[in-house]
Amino acid sequence: MGATMDGPIHVPQDGDAEALDYTKAAPPEEPVTPPGRWVKENLFSSTSNTIQTVIFGGLLLVLLRFVLNLVFSEENNWAAVATNVRLLMSYNYPAEQYVRIWFTVGALAAAAGLSMAAWQLHPRISVRRIGVNLLGTGGVLIVMGILTPGATPSSIRIGMLVIGAALLVIGAGLLFGTEDPHLKHVSFTAVLLTISGLIIAFLWLFPLGKYLFIDGEAIQEDGTVSATTKGPWTVTILILLASLFVGRAIGKAIGGTRPLRLAMGVWWVIGPAFLIFLVLRDPEFDWDYVLKVDLPLALAFGLGGGALLYALTKPTFADQARAVGAVLMGFAIFNWVAAFFGWYAMLQKVRFSFLALALFALAAPTFAGEKSARLRFAGMWLGLVAVGHWLITGINTPSTLDITAPPFLGGFVLTVSIAYYVMLASFPLGILLALARTSRMPIFRVLSTIYIEFVRGIPLITVLFFFSIMLNLFLPNGMAVSELAAVFTGYTVFSAAYMAENIRGGLQSVRKGQYEASDALGLTGVQRTGLIVLPQALRVSIPNLVGQAIATFKETSLIAIVGGFDLLRIADKTIPAQTAFIGQKRVGLLFICVVYWAFSYSMSRASRNLEVKLGVGQAR
Amino acid sequence: MTTTNSMTDVHNGLTDELRARNDIIECRGVDKWFGDFQALRGVDLLVKDREVMVVLGPSGSGKSTLIRCINRLEVHQGGDIIVDGVELTNDLRNIDKIRSEVGMVFQQFNLFPHLTVLDNITLAPIWVRKKAKKEAEQKAHELLERVGIPEQANKFPGQLSGGQQQRVAIARSLAMEPRVMLFDEPTSALDPEMISEVLDVMKDLANGGMTMICVTHEMGFAREVADRIVFMEDGRVVEIGTPNQFFTDPKSDRTKLFLSQIL
Ligand SMILES: Nc1ncnc2c1ncn2[C@@H]1O[C@H](COP(=O)(O)OP(=O)(O)OP(=O)(O)O)[C@@H](O)[C@H]1O
Ligand SMILES: [Mg+2]
Repeated sequence: MGATMDGPIHVPQDGDAEALDYTKAAPPEEPVTPPGRWVKENLFSSTSNTIQTVIFGGLLLVLLRFVLNLVFSEENNWAAVATNVRLLMSYNYPAEQYVRIWFTVGALAAAAGLSMAAWQLHPRISVRRIGVNLLGTGGVLIVMGILTPGATPSSIRIGMLVIGAALLVIGAGLLFGTEDPHLKHVSFTAVLLTISGLIIAFLWLFPLGKYLFIDGEAIQEDGTVSATTKGPWTVTILILLASLFVGRAIGKAIGGTRPLRLAMGVWWVIGPAFLIFLVLRDPEFDWDYVLKVDLPLALAFGLGGGALLYALTKPTFADQARAVGAVLMGFAIFNWVAAFFGWYAMLQKVRFSFLALALFALAAPTFAGEKSARLRFAGMWLGLVAVGHWLITGINTPSTLDITAPPFLGGFVLTVSIAYYVMLASFPLGILLALARTSRMPIFRVLSTIYIEFVRGIPLITVLFFFSIMLNLFLPNGMAVSELAAVFTGYTVFSAAYMAENIRGGLQSVRKGQYEASDALGLTGVQRTGLIVLPQALRVSIPNLVGQAIATFKETSLIAIVGGFDLLRIADKTIPAQTAFIGQKRVGLLFICVVYWAFSYSMSRASRNLEVKLGVGQAR
Repeated sequence: MTTTNSMTDVHNGLTDELRARNDIIECRGVDKWFGDFQALRGVDLLVKDREVMVVLGPSGSGKSTLIRCINRLEVHQGGDIIVDGVELTNDLRNIDKIRSEVGMVFQQFNLFPHLTVLDNITLAPIWVRKKAKKEAEQKAHELLERVGIPEQANKFPGQLSGGQQQRVAIARSLAMEPRVMLFDEPTSALDPEMISEVLDVMKDLANGGMTMICVTHEMGFAREVADRIVFMEDGRVVEIGTPNQFFTDPKSDRTKLFLSQIL
């Protein structure tokens, strides 16, 4: 030990210059300890340590054996899962329209690749870490191969042992065959390429078997996964890689990733809505109506509103902007009141447009400035109108899809969609609630506190029942909401309360001096909050917010109870009812456990990376 | 007004030259309470255009409170404060106007840790003064040059030394092109070797004709740069005079006691 134990000095990597972090990089890794010494130091360093190792090691083995028994039990028919993968993924989406699902997956892969490039997510991974991970995985596989119950097909058992041994050898080779493996780094790109290659090879070469469902008959054939599965997935992986390289090339070409970050930020807010409502639903536009009503409306709001906002963002027009905003806001609210009492009819999107325009007008003084700033603000409005009107039209237009048993969203797609949009909607709501709760205005404080404490005191399932069953009873005639929208509202209402509490914690961590400095510079309250306080508060809240995102993701399984066809419902009710797989509950449940776990775990890993990158929790 | 201030004449220490200038800040009988505790007791103060005024006094005497009232980080309950002809009332428009005319530098720097040095400086000119980004950035680079750290523009505050941070804070205030700068013990949180770099910037500012009110414990700075020195105790202005009068011929016993303790 001694001097050799001192870690090497961390040299910032190339990408760091533009990174978001305003503090130190991650601490350096330690060199490799020889395996014999590691075992001695960590497992058998003293008598009590030895006893603990034996007891807990034994417990671990018993647990592993138990899980393996569950997985490889003779009663299990894993064909129930393999045959129903499509059902679990997208429920009863019509097979002849599957290209839409693949398009969606491909678009998300492209966006993911571009985002990785935009946010420069290319952590360097040390050879040491790769080696340790391979060693660990190999070891676990070998232990599993030994512990598998007798009923396990011998091919699986031998496969585990062989692959485990191979991983052990490679891992050991990397760890002990390389000089200073903790100092050598493999680029993220190389790791990504390797993993992608392995997945593609697995898809095309591994004899997993083909599983087909024809007229309620489950048919199994030997061979690799069917071409309709492995083809699209291969393309998807290639799209992901290609878009990563394209994104990096764009970044180089324009000398910075800022515009790409902005574009991808916007995409992640509206892109999925575009996919859900325009691609997966395939609305059947009545082009005559679109040209006669929708387009003129959008143009009127876009151009008229844009011109108005351009005028109002003149720095000397702050008073006028506030007045216009107030009048518009009054009018917008009145429109909803009128709708409630049925005084006059108005397209829903016109109501929304007036509300949005009022908010923009009220924000105009904050965004006032010279010409380019004003044009940007008007342009933002134009973009919002274009996207908003398009989406609302798409949502309200009947779908061409002929789905025998609605809803058109189900399975994993439903789970992810709900979780995603609940997070997205409850985030701004949570921010507003948190700000209200910490506001100086007693009325806001009281209202927000009542909301948060009330919602937090009610079980989620109750909120969901309330919204799915009761919401329509309380709404006036003609304003009925669909089951899905009701469930979505219920989740959002629930999640926002927790979100607010997490963000409030972040708000409290912002020092008083930050407020004083903002005030002394003459920032308005809105600017102070948006530019200074919130960015710092949210950074601190990231770990909690991700924790909540994971919770929300898992809690979506409750929609099974109020009638949604999500993963849980399919595994628990639909599959066991199929004639081919009567009573096959366990395999489905085990499978969705793995799906939920894999997603939650990757989210928490991603959040760890983000925290390191943003320097959360480090000294300033 | 109360009689407590009868021993202080706000015109003390005014040379004829200063006397001829405009008043930038006028405080008349300012009272400030924190709950039951009165932190300012009828403070009278006149600050002339391009004057450098140093505020001295023992801890808790109300120095910070006084200058924080001047840009309304604290609200005073009695008397009047008039800055550049604008009276400080609850009218938000007046407050915004005064805050963009009056810069403030804090003991703890209070830079925005999530923004680069450049963004720290350009933020207010862009969002408050509605300047174009390019113009604001150019000005920011000039200011960084002026405070002696042109090469730090793209760093984050956490990557700078205390002295550098405080100089960025000064540049950030100057970017708003204020008429008056307020300093609340700008060097008290700094290691000794960094104090002079900040004081040099302040001297430079003073020589450039900036109106300044500085709360500081740096007697050398006070002696060298101040036009007048104000001595406060228990929320009152006890004595006002030129540095020469103040250090060599203090009138009140409390000033004498204070000087004997620090010199
Ligand atoms: N927010 C507050 N609430 C209650 N009392 C306060 C507050 N701020 C200041 N005070 C009190 O007002 C008095 C004057 O405080 P102030 O900070 O102005 O003193 P100071 O002269 O700047 O002292 P120092 O040299 O220690 O900074 C002190 O007794 C202090 O305890
Ligand atoms: Mg003080």
